[in-house]
Amino acid sequence: MAKKVIDSRGSACPGPITDLALAYRNASIGDEIELWSTDPGVKEDAKAWAQRTGNVIESITELPDKIVVLIKIVKK
Amino acid sequence: MAGKLSIIMFSGTADKFIPLGVLSQAAAAMGMEVNIFVTGFALLGFLKQPRPLPFPKEFESMAQALEEGMKNNNVAAWSDMVRQAKALGAHVYACSMMCGVMGLKKEDFSDLVDDIVGAATFLQKSEGGQTLFI
Repeated sequence: MAKKVIDSRGSACPGPITDLALAYRNASIGDEIELWSTDPGVKEDAKAWAQRTGNVIESITELPDKIVVLIKIVKK
Repeated sequence: MAGKLSIIMFSGTADKFIPLGVLSQAAAAMGMEVNIFVTGFALLGFLKQPRPLPFPKEFESMAQALEEGMKNNNVAAWSDMVRQAKALGAHVYACSMMCGVMGLKKEDFSDLVDDIVGAATFLQKSEGGQTLFI
């Protein structure tokens, strides 16, 4: 049960989702991935990714300097 | 594998290579099987020594602004996006008929190209998924 922060700030679409996919490769079931992004598309893209891969979006938080998406890995 | 995206890359202009990169990388990141079939003048973008891709005449005056905007937004080069898609499992195939017409062999292509295949092979690989023609 590890939590990993992926900093994709400044990366344009499809960079953040790709960074998420790469982190997912090394993650185990029960892990959390916290994805940081400045791409406004990441909110819907992360939901689409989670739906496609069978994982769970725990929260999406918009901060002044970034969007933080918290993903729980429940499927590999 | 969760779904499948196949792209027939036909256009040889620089603007059309952007969606090729974005969609192939995004689909691969989504865990989809990705197959890219390169044909027509698009083959010129995959050569070991590629010539600079032209812009369509009607958008030529906007090419510089587009390139600057992409740079300012950290948009990766199309070839880097396709390379990332391949690292996530995508495959790139060159059209055997057009390779013959243009006198191109496997060794003329960059490492992005996995193989030279015929139309039937691509149709077989793309069956049951989404197919885009760019």
